[in-house]
Amino acid sequence: MPGSRHRFRLRAAPREERQLSPEEQRRILRERALALAREPEREEAAAGLEVVEFLLAYERYGIESSYIREVYPLKDLTPLPCTPPFVLGIMNVRGKILSVIDIRKFFDLPQKGLTDLNRVIIVHDDFMEFGILADAILGVRLIPVRELQPSLPTLTEVRADYLKGVTEERLVVLDGGAILSDRRIVVHDEAAGGAG
Amino acid sequence: MDDKDRKFMNHLLAIFKVEADEHLKRISSGLIELEKAAPPEMLAEIVEVVFREAHSLKGAARSVNLTDLEALCQMMEGVFAAMKRQELKGSPGLFDLLQQAVDHVGRILPVVEGKRSAKEKALHRELINRLAEAAKGGETGSGISEAELRQAESEEAAGTEDPPPTSEPGAVPPEPPARLPPQQLAPPESPADAAEQVSSPGVTETVRVATTKLSSVLLQSEEMLSAKLAAGQRVVQMRETRSAFVAWKKEWAKILPIAHGVRKLSEKPAEAGAGERFEEIRRESARLLDFLEWNGAFMKSLEGKHVVEAKTAEYDSRVLGGMVNNLLDDMKKVMMFPFSSLLEIFPKVVRDLSRDHGKEVELDSRGGEIEVDRRILEEMKDPLVHLVRNCIDHGIERPGEREGKNKERHGTVTILVAPKDNKVEIVVADDGAGIGIARVRDAVRKLGLVPPEKMAELPDEDLLPYVFQSGVSTSPIITEISGRGLGLAIVREKVEKLGGTISLESQPDAGTTFRILLPLTVATFRGILVRAGEQAFVLPTTHVERVVGLKTDEIKTVENRETIQLDGRAVSLAKLGDVLQLPAKKQDKERSGRFQAVVLAVGDRRIAFLVDEIMNEQEVLLKNLGPQLARVRNLSGATVLGNGRVVPILNVPDLMKSAVMSALPSAGVGPEARTEEGRRESVLVVEDSITSRTLLKNILESAGYDVVTAVDGIDAFTRLRSVDFDLVVSDVDMPRMNGFDLTAKIRGDRKLSEMPIVLVTALESREDRERGIDVGANAYIVKSSFDQSNLLEVIRRLV
Repeated sequence: MPGSRHRFRLRAAPREERQLSPEEQRRILRERALALAREPEREEAAAGLEVVEFLLAYERYGIESSYIREVYPLKDLTPLPCTPPFVLGIMNVRGKILSVIDIRKFFDLPQKGLTDLNRVIIVHDDFMEFGILADAILGVRLIPVRELQPSLPTLTEVRADYLKGVTEERLVVLDGGAILSDRRIVVHDEAAGGAG
Repeated sequence: MDDKDRKFMNHLLAIFKVEADEHLKRISSGLIELEKAAPPEMLAEIVEVVFREAHSLKGAARSVNLTDLEALCQMMEGVFAAMKRQELKGSPGLFDLLQQAVDHVGRILPVVEGKRSAKEKALHRELINRLAEAAKGGETGSGISEAELRQAESEEAAGTEDPPPTSEPGAVPPEPPARLPPQQLAPPESPADAAEQVSSPGVTETVRVATTKLSSVLLQSEEMLSAKLAAGQRVVQMRETRSAFVAWKKEWAKILPIAHGVRKLSEKPAEAGAGERFEEIRRESARLLDFLEWNGAFMKSLEGKHVVEAKTAEYDSRVLGGMVNNLLDDMKKVMMFPFSSLLEIFPKVVRDLSRDHGKEVELDSRGGEIEVDRRILEEMKDPLVHLVRNCIDHGIERPGEREGKNKERHGTVTILVAPKDNKVEIVVADDGAGIGIARVRDAVRKLGLVPPEKMAELPDEDLLPYVFQSGVSTSPIITEISGRGLGLAIVREKVEKLGGTISLESQPDAGTTFRILLPLTVATFRGILVRAGEQAFVLPTTHVERVVGLKTDEIKTVENRETIQLDGRAVSLAKLGDVLQLPAKKQDKERSGRFQAVVLAVGDRRIAFLVDEIMNEQEVLLKNLGPQLARVRNLSGATVLGNGRVVPILNVPDLMKSAVMSALPSAGVGPEARTEEGRRESVLVVEDSITSRTLLKNILESAGYDVVTAVDGIDAFTRLRSVDFDLVVSDVDMPRMNGFDLTAKIRGDRKLSEMPIVLVTALESREDRERGIDVGANAYIVKSSFDQSNLLEVIRRLV
């Protein structure tokens, strides 16, 4: 994708540098900078997916940034009794209680390794909101949709319904919408035995 | 249309929907009033109201370019205009038609800009035609039946184009509309509007604010409560520090005479021949004494400073407390809404339901002006609708049947809202047949809720409360709306969750009355903080009957269940940790043979719950657990303590049920299942990440070790000095003191040098591994290849 950028630089750079006054140089540089700043955005925005990339148990995952409210450091986590194992507990985010879940357990991925898990990615849509545990946030990047390929069973063990796809560099892009709207993630549990 | 315009349009549509909904509600309730045949002088007034509402709705629809809606409203307005001119009289058929139109608009409102089905379109057109006819007054209009609609639909399918008044739904104009109805302009922004509002006396100024914004403000002001509690706690801590000064003073007073004595001794002139050494001691002790005196003075000034600071802190805490209380009080008032906003849906509910059931029912609702917390209103909507449905479906008899009983043909459903000592009471009553107690008895017997031998002696009045049990239904047939016996259980649950109570009375052929008592606000209540295992929980004080101390021999096993004697009655005993299914570990109790229990009561049922510690009682604020945890067994929410800790709040009715379930195999309070030998091996886990720490702890605990945790090297070393451990498991990368340094420090300590140390680390390089071995670690586990079996294997080899 940065092809156009390189071409531009190669073509424009070598010729004039010597004879130009500092002002002119500055002007040209600014123009170039502006052009560089603008071009790629137009080209790629159409079919790109802005994704926040994070690390979880030595695997890289991505989730669309539009589903992310914020990333929160995990300081205190209160475990809750009587909840399924993928619910790690609850935390206080500015007065609001939010649950934190371990997507590995929700996806039934094998638990391997011991990791730091001190970041919480708060994901949301209109009806749902919770925190996803992560080891570290690697950054935000734009992934052209055409680079996403359907997952191969060998690449990841996450079920296809939760996946947007996998990139060439094995970044597993999760389908935030599907996870948020999955009813299996909602805990709705009555006290056992009405007969009592 | 570019993005900005579309956004603007969507915004307008959202406002329109809110506004339209209000107009519709008013039209609908106006229609019901009209149908009730109100006195003639009122009649004109009501017609005027519905006419204006229809007119405003029409204008609003036009402003967002919903021409099809506009056309329909135009027709409704026409009918009302004719009624206004007294050219048209209301008839049941006409009212049906108008209600149908209102329903139709209400149905398409949420997707007003989307595509509509052929059936909807057909209905839309038919409604317009009928209303137009009705307005002419030629024939009295009537409701549209399914069959007619089908016919219209097929005609529609045969036809080609939509008729002119209905524009293509979903078409939105490229330009923002030129005219907006006045309601859409936020009043304070326009000076003219503001002036108008100020000039109208007697009317309180109002601003329309989205509830989401309001809720967020409320949330933040509620959060101030934890600031208040935290400030209070600081004051308590400072008082404790002050008492430390008292202890110091005591010691100081003891040592002072000795110091004086030493001073005198050292000031005596040295005896001849005492030697150089004595001189030296004398000089040094003089210095020591000087320091001691300086130290005494210093401590005293420090104490003085502390006293001043503590006073300031106390003052600040008081001021903050007052401010927070005021803020919360005002905020609560902001959240108060009149009941009428909830009651206004009922005329229609009653009308529709009684039609469907072929019954004649009148609604009498009073107390709409009483204000309660909006969140309570929201939560109470479904329960109240359910109760009213119950009254109509089960309670009120058909007209013929009623006449046979010498009752009026039409039944009455009463909804009465009234304040009752700081609470609000909602009464939902009908004058119908009453609850068939025989059916309740049947259902209770079938479900086995009461042992059969006791069934016979159970008096009728004791049976009534069982209708709140899930599975108990008095309806012989299951209808769409009731009869599955779930409804009342859910009603009770909602009411109890809000901190209220529900009861009922029923007399054969005189009717049934439900009484709901609710708090006015949901904000705070008092709770008792208890500890089970290592977790703290809050028990709402309203459900706590008392707290008791017990000795082992006071616990008796009756029919395989543990019980204690309380006021001469046996009360069953359950362990809170077991009921909550907390991981069974050394629930530290047997040390003294003394237990603490909290007796919880719901209705007249009591169960004592054993806890590991009763910490204190305090004000708590119930917060829900977030949308992902819609309902968690045994929990009703969580609260944030003054120190910032989040603590779950227990749901007592749930706990009582769970206790009955978990008590089946004897809870085993007395001698606990101990591990093989007497003492368990104890492990210190040092890890700065909370999740890893918890994971390691859980793994080790389930493998039978006693585990203590520390957050970094310094913390760990302090613990190692004070308690004996068999092994240390430590992370490497930690703040303050890392794992390598901790290992080196342990090896350098005389007492601890033999302690087995396992380093668990993210550092995989060979140098790191070598460094770990250099400083003296016994094992080095790399996190990426970590799994519990290799950790346990390594530990087993080391201890």
